[in-house]
Amino acid sequence: MFPRVTAVLVVQHGGDRLRTTLDALRSQTRPPDDLAVVLMDADDATRRLVEAQRPSHVVSLGASQPFGAAIAAVEQTLPEPGDERSSLWLLTEDAAPEPAALESLVASLENARTAAIAAPKLVDWDDPRRIVRFGRSVTRGGRSMAIVEGELDQGQHDDLSDVLGADPVGMLVRHAVWRDLGGLDPALPVVDDGLDLGTRARLAGHRVVAVPGAVLRFGDAGVAGPGSEPGGRAARHRARIARTAWLHRRLVSAPAVLVPLHWLAILPIAVLRSLRHLLVKTPGSIPGEFAAAVEVMVTPQRVVRSRRAIARVRTAKWSALAPLRIRPDEVRARRQQAAEARRQRARGRADDLQFLQTGGGWVLLATLALSIVLFAPLLASGGISGGGLLPLSNEVSALWRNAAAGWRDIGGGFVGAADPFAGVLAVLGSAAFWNPSAALLGLWLAAIPLSGLGGWFAASRLTERASLRVLGGLAWAVAPPLLDALAAGRPAAVLVHVLLPWLAVLMFAAGTSWAAAAAASLVFAAIVACAPVLAPALVLAWLVALPLSGRAAVRLVGIPLPALALALPLIVQQVGRGAPLSLLADPGLPHGAGEPTVAQVALGQANGTWGRWEDALGGLVAEVVPPPILLAVLLAPLALAALAVVASRRLRGGLLALALAAAGFATAVGATLLHVAFSGERTVPVWTGAGISVMWLGLLAAAILALSTLRRGAAAAATLVAVFGIVAVAPTVVAIALGRTAVGPAPERTLPAFVEAEAGSDPRVGTLRMQPTADGGIRATIERGTGATLDEQSTLASTRRDLTGTTESIATLAGNLASRSGYDATAAVEEFGLSFVLLGDADPADPAATAVHERARAALDGNPQVVATGETDFGPIWRFVDAEPDAPGARIPDPGPVAGWVVAGQLMVVGAALLLSIPTGGGREPDRRPPSVRRRRRRPAVVAAESGETGTDAAAPDDTAAGGVPVESPAVDGPADPREASSEQRATVDAGAPERRGDEGGGRRADEA
Amino acid sequence: MRGVVAVPTRRDVIRWVARGLAVVVAGGLAAGALLAASVAPLPEVAAEPPSAVVQPAESRQLRVCPGPLLSLADDAASAATARSVGAPDLSVAADPETATIEQVPLDAPENAGAAADGGPVAVSAEPGAVLAGMLAGAQSQTAATESLRGFAAASCVEPASDSWLLAGATDVGRSGLVLLANPGEVASTVDLRVVGETGPVDAPSGLGIVVPPGSQRVVSLAGLAPSVRTPVVHVTSTGAPIAAALQHSVVLGLEPAGVELSTPVAPPATRQVVPGVVVTDDRGVAPDEDHADGDDFPALRLFAPDDAEASAVVEIRDDAGSAVSEIDVTLAPGQVTDLPLGTLDPGSYTVVVDADAPVVAAARSTLLGEGEDPILADLAWSVATGALLDRAAVAVPDGPGASIVLANPDGEAVAATVTIGGGERTVTVPAGGAASVAVQGGDRLILDGVEGLHAAVAFEGDGGIASIPIAPPGPLDSPVRVFPQ
Repeated sequence: MFPRVTAVLVVQHGGDRLRTTLDALRSQTRPPDDLAVVLMDADDATRRLVEAQRPSHVVSLGASQPFGAAIAAVEQTLPEPGDERSSLWLLTEDAAPEPAALESLVASLENARTAAIAAPKLVDWDDPRRIVRFGRSVTRGGRSMAIVEGELDQGQHDDLSDVLGADPVGMLVRHAVWRDLGGLDPALPVVDDGLDLGTRARLAGHRVVAVPGAVLRFGDAGVAGPGSEPGGRAARHRARIARTAWLHRRLVSAPAVLVPLHWLAILPIAVLRSLRHLLVKTPGSIPGEFAAAVEVMVTPQRVVRSRRAIARVRTAKWSALAPLRIRPDEVRARRQQAAEARRQRARGRADDLQFLQTGGGWVLLATLALSIVLFAPLLASGGISGGGLLPLSNEVSALWRNAAAGWRDIGGGFVGAADPFAGVLAVLGSAAFWNPSAALLGLWLAAIPLSGLGGWFAASRLTERASLRVLGGLAWAVAPPLLDALAAGRPAAVLVHVLLPWLAVLMFAAGTSWAAAAAASLVFAAIVACAPVLAPALVLAWLVALPLSGRAAVRLVGIPLPALALALPLIVQQVGRGAPLSLLADPGLPHGAGEPTVAQVALGQANGTWGRWEDALGGLVAEVVPPPILLAVLLAPLALAALAVVASRRLRGGLLALALAAAGFATAVGATLLHVAFSGERTVPVWTGAGISVMWLGLLAAAILALSTLRRGAAAAATLVAVFGIVAVAPTVVAIALGRTAVGPAPERTLPAFVEAEAGSDPRVGTLRMQPTADGGIRATIERGTGATLDEQSTLASTRRDLTGTTESIATLAGNLASRSGYDATAAVEEFGLSFVLLGDADPADPAATAVHERARAALDGNPQVVATGETDFGPIWRFVDAEPDAPGARIPDPGPVAGWVVAGQLMVVGAALLLSIPTGGGREPDRRPPSVRRRRRRPAVVAAESGETGTDAAAPDDTAAGGVPVESPAVDGPADPREASSEQRATVDAGAPERRGDEGGGRRADEA
Repeated sequence: MRGVVAVPTRRDVIRWVARGLAVVVAGGLAAGALLAASVAPLPEVAAEPPSAVVQPAESRQLRVCPGPLLSLADDAASAATARSVGAPDLSVAADPETATIEQVPLDAPENAGAAADGGPVAVSAEPGAVLAGMLAGAQSQTAATESLRGFAAASCVEPASDSWLLAGATDVGRSGLVLLANPGEVASTVDLRVVGETGPVDAPSGLGIVVPPGSQRVVSLAGLAPSVRTPVVHVTSTGAPIAAALQHSVVLGLEPAGVELSTPVAPPATRQVVPGVVVTDDRGVAPDEDHADGDDFPALRLFAPDDAEASAVVEIRDDAGSAVSEIDVTLAPGQVTDLPLGTLDPGSYTVVVDADAPVVAAARSTLLGEGEDPILADLAWSVATGALLDRAAVAVPDGPGASIVLANPDGEAVAATVTIGGGERTVTVPAGGAASVAVQGGDRLILDGVEGLHAAVAFEGDGGIASIPIAPPGPLDSPVRVFPQ
């Protein structure tokens, strides 16, 4: 007697695939004896189609259910298996068996009496030569893997026999064993259900065999298994389900005593795996990772049920499964193959920048030479000072402490949020950890070359022409706001100017790359940290970029996040004070500078002069031509070129660039109106240079776009713009070179040697510094150790409008020390841990300041509570009689737990952005661009005309597009998430398409050629 | 490439016109934005920097009176042989009157007569007993010896670490003594720098004079700077502050011809006001007189401490406020100028100096003897004073024809209240002018509502003339604004 085979068919959608499957069933060389059908939510047509086959059993389910549940629903209605040999054949509507399939399966069960499950080879529905999946096993780590997946079938796997499990579709299972095992585990509704069934069969002492001769065409439409729906969302869903199954399997298969440990480890492992997701640029999988972890953690009943099911049938040891697992070397080999495939994809993807061929080298050389000429004297001194420059803390640990929320060591000290700029300084200072202050000198030396490079790179996103790229580099390197910031000693403004073009470059690339988007978010954070006044303009630019970049917007959404995380504590505190505008105050040492008029701002001047043309050649030039007119004439070529973009073909990008320039201008004008910080008796205006940098960026971009559409004379026009622009800043360059600016070599010390010597043994030694002010007042500050540092400055302190208890105590102390007074300073000296009083020199031209200096000096001389210590370069100094070394009042108090949480939160956001920005994604990230096509140099105008707009396709000098054909096939995608990759590629094409239309691509191009 | 000359088609023309229009519109928009930003009244966000006005904690109020007039022995170069000529009359005033006032005599080791006549006196009130400026002392003395004759009065001054003395001369017949009193508890090191009509006088012996705590030292001006007609002495000290005074005496031939004890002038400023300059005689010397030698005419001593040429306008105003004389003067850099005040009607005047650089100033008044060609009988130095605060206490020592002069250099009349021994009097000081109230020796005066006024007590009588400045309290006690961030 033949063994009885009941085919169990799960029908969900019906249609052609069902028809094909039913036909295939009929044409089996050994047809099944019975047909049991599960109809899920079926329509009448489907029902009729099924009825025509005269199934022995039909079960209708109202809603679609997991494969295991559907099979179980109809299996219950079947009679008890007659003997050991009768079996169930599990089928779905999209699994059409080849004619010999059942025969092979039955034969394999008949030939091996210990075999309880026979699994077929699943091949692609449309392309039967391609194996979809064949067999399934686990790695040592418990990850489920198909033994064969996505390979061309050349018979290379026909020797596969004993396996751990397989996908359930097409499986032939002995009915008795099925009943014995209790069917498919409902805890694994989608994936790994067949693997689990096989594992349990193995543990119960049965064998699971793969039958290469049995072939099913499989549609993989999701009736059984996760399906193969395209799209990132579906891919992330599959990853989540697979992870859930993996975690479930881990808890089920572990020895009972270790289960709690595994349970506890689930969340930490999820965190670690999230870090890996960041590194491999799949941040979208992180929510699924945690969802899976939480799902498994909160459903222990599933684990208990599954463990009981195994315990009930288990006769073999777990170790019996070991030989059937995928061997580590096999895993390694697969990983290497995947990496090789990624490299293959990444090859030829790097931008063909032609750095040397299009003038990048010359820009670098010229800017380096200029930088050396300007700052060589500083190099010899080994330090830099003046203007807004102060030394950085000597220890890296102090730098980072000042970057973290907590104790602000200024104005007598208070607990509060840190300026994000302190974080920038900490990074900068850590780069020169042996002497952090040297980093500032390094910044000054590198600022012009780095700006030149940045300008060149940003220009290379807009044009292929060497002359225009060089214009971009040079015009950015000698931009007035950069030179003014260098001359005025404003490290924050210098950083802003250096970083702005890189932000533009990264924003262009962010649409196609997570790494670039994360890097852009970090640069964004750094720029906002250096110049909070730019935040409105940058956020506006971001808001404009979001809708313009189509589906790539998902990568741009998070760009302001690190900046927000860094600034949030400050925002909370300043808004709490009722002074939200104070958030826009410049970080760093508050110091005033020339306040430019609107016209000066429009001409790019931040320091309140007309480009220093007033003093050029000893005022000779100014006598001949009024400086405003001269400057306007010199900058006219740039302005005209920028405005001309509205008449060019690159109107869209040009308008965006002009809008950026307008936003920069508005920011700079707005900055002149903001006086929110204070330095002693002076209100400090916000530096306009940052806004001017943005304006300059927009103007330069517009000019380059406009010139890039010129058929002839672009090089000449670029030369004109560059030469005039360089002449315009000549007086500033000369002033810097001759040392006529605020910046100069660093002095040996910032407090007298007495204090420095004391600070050697007592690093927190306190000095009360009293500085006569212009109106006959006194500015009193407390400095610690060897003096005030740049990183300890705080806008919370500099924008405070009212006195606090602390500052009032300082005022009382200083006021009384500067007077003949019966004041007992002991309490205040103890409170602040003071040792010295330093009376700064007064401006000799200011009688009020001189008078108050004399008064304070006389009072201190006659005060028995202080002892005159000597005259110093910084002014006379006294020592408190009751000063004690390492005073308790000088110590840094514990900032409390809130600061710790704030820092932890900021570290998490910035750390995530940092991990994501590390470019490990070579080939992992889908490439949106068609492959690079070399163009002939004799068509530069055409190429320039269409190479990138701003927005998503802006990465695109490579984007000649017309003939570009995507060469990649999804099959060679990385193993991490092949579906996601291919789907995103599709998304890219969608996003890119309207852009190309807007560009009037092919047709116009043909005209011009 | 194109074989034929391309004739612009209609479309080309339209396109070019459109492009040109676009550029013009864009330029217009840019210019409009620029104009709007320049012209529109943009709101400014500005706040006041936080500061506190610190009122110094109350401390001991202290005035030091210079002590008796000293007469030098024949050997003029040696100050060690000075001897006092009688004791001065000392008068003290305080508000409230009940405040305990302590008078502590200081050591005067260089005065051989100190045991009999006493020395300088430190007048002090405990912290909190009186407000700053509400303690005053003054002394006066009439001398009639072989070498000293005349009436001298001086106020008791606050010790300071930096003061200017404008008086004296060291040419033939004139002698000057610098009196340096240190009432403090620590020693003081004093530097005296003398400037004359030809510039700074190099006098190393004037530097590093140590004044022990609680004592007075006397330095002969002739020893430092011989044959200087117009000395200005700059007294600076480190350590304890110093109360300085300068005794100026004249001997013409063998006749003693006047003595005065002068105290520090107001610190250098571009405007100086000398109240209560008394003119007793209309025999003056014209301001442009080149060879105005001698002491027997009213004059103004001016010095600009900055080493640069300065020009000043000197206005001499009468009590009603009208300028009776206005003199333009150029001060040579580093040199002292004695400016004759010209011929003036007898009376009391206010001298106002407006300069383009900080200057110090004091005026000399003279009293001539009887006869056709009288010689000098006495002289007085009226020094420039600082503007008073709202209230002040004034002590009046014995002396002939005493009156308190309130000068108002500013443009609005001021009604001040003068309380003399409990009796209140309201005095209206006209704009730019002055008002005087006759007082008696020993009177204790409280001035109210005198903010911005300058005041002096002037003595004028047959016995001699003298002037006592009423100085506001030193800056050391005044509130100071502190910016603690």
